[in-house]
Amino acid sequence: MAPNSASDADYFRDKARKDLLALLEGVRGKKNVVISQDLAGPVGLFVKFSLLQEYGVDRVFLLENANVDSTQRNVVFLVHAEKARHVRTVAEQIKRLQRNGNVEHEFFIFWVPRRTLVSNSILEEAGIIGDVNISEFPLYFMPLEQDVLSLELDSSFGDLYLNKDPGCIFQSAKALMDIQQRHGYFPRIIGKGDNARRLADLLLRMRRELDAEESSGLNGLPARGLLPSASTESLIIIDREVDFGTVLLTQLTYEGLIDETVGIKHNQADVDTTIVGPGAAQESSKAPQQQTSKQGQKRKIQLDDSDQLFSQLRDANFAIVGDILNKVARRLESDYESRHTAKTTTQLREFVNKLPTYQLEHQSLRVHTNLAEEIMRVTRSDIFRKVLEIQQNNAAGADATYQHDSIEELIARNAPLKTVLRLLCLESCMSGGLRARDLENFKKQVVQAYGYQHLLTFDALEKMELLQPRSSATTMLLPTTGAAQAGLKTNYNYLRKNLRLVIEEVSEKEPEDVSYVYSGFAPLSIRLVQCVLQKPYILALTKGGSAPASTNTNAASTTSPGWLGFEDVVKSARGATFSIVQKGDDKAVRARQTISGNNAIKTVYVYFLGGITFTEIAALRFIAAQEALRRKIVICTTGLINGDRMMDAAIAKGGFAKEE
Amino acid sequence: MAPSNPLSYWERVGDSFYRKVPVYDAIFDEDVELENYIVAGAPYGGAIALYRDESKLYRFQGAQTTKSSIDIYSCSGKHINRINWEYGSIRGLGWSDKEELLVVSEDGTVRRYFGLFGDFTSFSLGNGSEEYGVRACRFWTSGFVALLSNNQLVAVSNYEEPRPRLLAPCPEGEVSSWSLIPPAYTLSRSVEVLLAVDKTIYLVDPTEAEDKVLQNGPFKHTSVSPTGRFVALYTAEGKVWVVSSDFQSKFSEYDPKARTPPREVEWCGDDAVILAWEDEIHLVGPNGVATRYYYDGHVHVIAEFDGVRLITNDTCEFLHKVSDVTEEIFRLGSSSPASVLLDSVDLLEKQSPKADENIQRIRSRLPEAVDTCVKAAGYEFDIYWQKRLLKAASFGKSVLELYNSDEFVEMTEKLRVLKAIRDYQIGLPASYEQYMRLTPEKLIERLVNRHEYFLAIRIAEYLQIPADRIYVHWASQKVKVSTVDDEAVCKLIVRRLDGKPGISFELIAQTAFDEGRAHLATQLLNHEPRAGKQVPLLMNMEEDEIALDKAIESGDTDLVNYVLLHLRSKLPLASFFRMINTRPMASALVETSARGEDSELLKDLYYQDDRPIDGSNVLLSEALQETELERQTEKLHLASRLLADSKDATVVLQQKMLNESSQLLKVQEALDQEIAEREEYVGLSLNETVYRLIRSGWSKRAQKVQSEFKLPEKTYWWLRLRALVAKRDWGELEEIGKNKKSPIGWEPFYNEILGAGNTKLASVFVPKCTNLPVEDRIEMWVKCGMTVKAGEEAFRARDVNTLELLRTKASGTAVTEIDRMINQLRPRK
Repeated sequence: MAPNSASDADYFRDKARKDLLALLEGVRGKKNVVISQDLAGPVGLFVKFSLLQEYGVDRVFLLENANVDSTQRNVVFLVHAEKARHVRTVAEQIKRLQRNGNVEHEFFIFWVPRRTLVSNSILEEAGIIGDVNISEFPLYFMPLEQDVLSLELDSSFGDLYLNKDPGCIFQSAKALMDIQQRHGYFPRIIGKGDNARRLADLLLRMRRELDAEESSGLNGLPARGLLPSASTESLIIIDREVDFGTVLLTQLTYEGLIDETVGIKHNQADVDTTIVGPGAAQESSKAPQQQTSKQGQKRKIQLDDSDQLFSQLRDANFAIVGDILNKVARRLESDYESRHTAKTTTQLREFVNKLPTYQLEHQSLRVHTNLAEEIMRVTRSDIFRKVLEIQQNNAAGADATYQHDSIEELIARNAPLKTVLRLLCLESCMSGGLRARDLENFKKQVVQAYGYQHLLTFDALEKMELLQPRSSATTMLLPTTGAAQAGLKTNYNYLRKNLRLVIEEVSEKEPEDVSYVYSGFAPLSIRLVQCVLQKPYILALTKGGSAPASTNTNAASTTSPGWLGFEDVVKSARGATFSIVQKGDDKAVRARQTISGNNAIKTVYVYFLGGITFTEIAALRFIAAQEALRRKIVICTTGLINGDRMMDAAIAKGGFAKEE
Repeated sequence: MAPSNPLSYWERVGDSFYRKVPVYDAIFDEDVELENYIVAGAPYGGAIALYRDESKLYRFQGAQTTKSSIDIYSCSGKHINRINWEYGSIRGLGWSDKEELLVVSEDGTVRRYFGLFGDFTSFSLGNGSEEYGVRACRFWTSGFVALLSNNQLVAVSNYEEPRPRLLAPCPEGEVSSWSLIPPAYTLSRSVEVLLAVDKTIYLVDPTEAEDKVLQNGPFKHTSVSPTGRFVALYTAEGKVWVVSSDFQSKFSEYDPKARTPPREVEWCGDDAVILAWEDEIHLVGPNGVATRYYYDGHVHVIAEFDGVRLITNDTCEFLHKVSDVTEEIFRLGSSSPASVLLDSVDLLEKQSPKADENIQRIRSRLPEAVDTCVKAAGYEFDIYWQKRLLKAASFGKSVLELYNSDEFVEMTEKLRVLKAIRDYQIGLPASYEQYMRLTPEKLIERLVNRHEYFLAIRIAEYLQIPADRIYVHWASQKVKVSTVDDEAVCKLIVRRLDGKPGISFELIAQTAFDEGRAHLATQLLNHEPRAGKQVPLLMNMEEDEIALDKAIESGDTDLVNYVLLHLRSKLPLASFFRMINTRPMASALVETSARGEDSELLKDLYYQDDRPIDGSNVLLSEALQETELERQTEKLHLASRLLADSKDATVVLQQKMLNESSQLLKVQEALDQEIAEREEYVGLSLNETVYRLIRSGWSKRAQKVQSEFKLPEKTYWWLRLRALVAKRDWGELEEIGKNKKSPIGWEPFYNEILGAGNTKLASVFVPKCTNLPVEDRIEMWVKCGMTVKAGEEAFRARDVNTLELLRTKASGTAVTEIDRMINQLRPRK
């Protein structure tokens, strides 16, 4: 197998772009494109609207708006086929166009990521399957950054934990198969959580099926990837369910806080123009939806590594963002001033050459300064501080009942419902449920304050096991009992001690531990990853008491694979624990090892099933930087999540008020 | 074997040579009267279909032969299969490049026979073909166009999912001839049709029919070259024109000087046109130069992309342009290096020293000579010359120090395969180039279709191509023909296919099921490793429960949903629920898809499952979707009633709150009627209702609501505070401030009022915050701008430092006040 030099992110970006353009090319002439909301953003990640125009796309409509018109003969639908609801909408719209059309339309459907049997039968039922040209657009992983691949499935969290719909596990497996086919099988799959186990089982099954299919030519692929990969070390799957608590906390990195306050979707944030000023000469080509949503009030801010300043800021704790901004501002100023010192013409030319970069930097500095100020305004507010205090107390394992007054006050002061629910869920997750009486009390207060429709919300939260009464079984989970009752619930009290989740003295400026992302609380999910990748560090952290130097060069003991050494500790987190070795033909493996050498830097894929937060990404990057000499970390996920989005999945829509 | 002269059959046409290679002889029995048959040949040397031309009279040969049928022969005349045809008159007979026979009958029914042995699928052309009838059809490798008798054209461009599409309407008039340009060669990437109507020609594509404005029609023949670049036209005056396919330039003209127009006009490669009469062939090269061939009997022309096959009763010949490499080597008097190299082999065998001399002479161009010999070997049909050329190449190669032999090796492999399939027993006379286009995989498919399993497997092994399809085909065939019992067949198949990778047992099982051997199908399915693959078949077999389990096992939600969709429409509700009850994934999916789409199903499901809270929640969400108040209350009542009988604590609580919610709606409705101008209160939450009442000055009513709903005291105080601040009712707030105690303390009062900007009133509450530390209180005073008060506070705490700090902030009289206090605290100084 030839080594794949391009990074996975580039590979998937190119592939997605090529696939889409090839499909569009297959539709001759001009065409209108109808795209579903959940795809409009992601498509913008790998293709610019101007490029689509070059391929004959005239206008873009959103499926949800149902406003596609007959201006073009060709109508292309780009829609997820996994959701029956979407498929029905497509069928309706096609029928509508057919009915009122004086134009004889030509319909094309690109099902993402595959053509499903259900979509076939729905179209058949609608009687239009013969009138449309159907193709598949196998879009699974989308690159958010060089080290982050995401399926961008917005609804995956609700599907997985509320509806128990394992569709996104299947899609994850498909997506990971893409990686395996590119690099070879993951030599080891390590994971935590029941859904993670399901995903691993699916991967094993798919591999078996692929082996069966491989040589049959059915899949059109050359027989490759039969072997465990030489360039991959392992795949680590973390089920979100294992650690809901982390997500419920307010993220305290810069990017995390932007996400908490403004919201980041597909690397873009919609920020009020009063904060960042109107976009100077908006590129018309940013994302397709810009064509359709004309709300002059908001401006899209691109948040990715193309913005140098942002890549410096994003993973830093918000406490030091101000400092960084100041420093950059001063540097920029002195750079500008350098024009006065420029004496010779060459120096002057150099300066002029750099001008565009300065301007770009200047622009981004202005945006981020304003954004940071806006966030500062939020973080200074009374409510925010109160919320943070409650969270930190909960995270630190203080008796949660002392916080109840504060929560009640927040309810009475009409704090955002999501904030209140997050606090309640946090307490429930961290201490194994609320006392039944307390829960009842809060339930009453919340429905009185926010409406009785939230009876549904509570029901949903309970189904997701986010907010539960403390059962007699779970009271046993108090710190004394240790690892009893393994697997039913994550026992934060036990893990807090045994994995040192709480670090009292944390330096936000020069962080030594991942806990800096929550100013003193290390995400459990990340500690679990560290249990696999940084065993000596964790051992020293928990046994030694004093935190050792973070650059641990003692690589010898890192070789112990899987959960080895932490089996007992890990048992206290919820769900199955597993470490599977995917074996291949031994001879071939050895042969390849001799070819490639053993010392090459290998890749570890960390898969967050059910979503990942920006803080966790920051923490993983922090680990990756420490491990840079030994391994590369690629973060994969079903989508980005934060506490508010988690609550969104549960909160009942609608109310008793009449629509005005 | 005596070497045949390589130059035999060469014929000079203009600047280039053409050669007619006899491939097979003694093709058809004498009693097959070829002139009475319509002949269609599959591309790449594939099978030939014969169908008796209905417009011709023929000798009566007994009752048996009057039944019409389509006969399929190999190119060597081996009868492969007979398809009985009793579906009306055939208007189109053609092949796809997968060697599927397409038969179009007059009424627009299309049958696609795959696998040469009579398996077929059919579809209808529609688009008015039933009324008007199909007149004729033209085929390309993956589709065809049918001409209806009303001059409409219907195109089918994909046989897997045929979508007959009408091309642009074309003018009235007599169509004297027509032809098509395959989609691969048109600018629009869809098929285009050339239609000779009256004196001119129309170019018809899906959107328009363009008149090419020609004068020399009616054209008896139009024919498009294989690459779609040229068109040959047979004009009214009996001449052949070759023009570009955009009709912009004319390349040559040829006058066959014949009284009757030719029966067929076809292209031979991209350079020459074949005119065929019954027993005469004209080969017209560039610039109108021609050569003629005469035959004793009737000759049929089957066009390939690199030449034509000529079929008579006696022979099958391949007429094609002599390739450049072949010409370079064999042309009389050629002194090209490759030719010299070939000579050297002769000399070498005679052990003549001249061999080396020759090599030295062409030394500098030897690699090129070797390449040429290798290539030429490919184009040669004669095994003797293939060997000679390869030998020459091998000799030349041995002299070279560095030469990449890959092509040489590959060529030997290809020639071995070609030799095997050209054998008359197999009868696939593909030329080298045809084989390259066909690809080995497709070739194997063709062999399998002919049931030549052994050869297919040998070739697959030789070329290292997956052989599973061959095995599957064999097994399916076995299932079809075997008469022994199911167990034995299954055992036989499993034993034979054991250890072979990639075998799709699902396909074999499907065959078994289609043959009506359901038991065998089930047995075979057990060997299928891919769970997902089994599902559709299991559903066909009505093994619903197993199908559902297999779908769940595959983890593919689409499959599960698909099975569920099917089951839901098939089973009575009760058994449907029973089916999903024990399968959590299935019931989760049913719930998910029913939510928002089929709430009745949900209600039934929850009722059956005895989940009252879930059931009542469905009603609650329905209530939320209602817009009328009465309907909302009604739904809420229903929701509450569902929970009525339970003693469970959570259920009781739930019911209580549901009742509260309808009670609130009632109260709000009353409020709207009594005190609001329009609907203000309905739909608000309880807290919002109280807040709004206070803000609008209805304190009494607010209190009533509070007590009615047992709103906690603390909450009520907060609401009152916020509402009064929003109302800016400072008087009332001051009044409250006179209370001794507040359940929420006094700090919130200070904060909220200060936030609203009333520092004076805010300051009133500072001294009431007795539970706060002194520093905080000082800070509070400062925020109100009352430095002196802050100072007093500090003074009481005897905090000199703070006082001094305050002094820096103070101004006016406050400075002296604070100074005084500082001095008081430092009397001794």
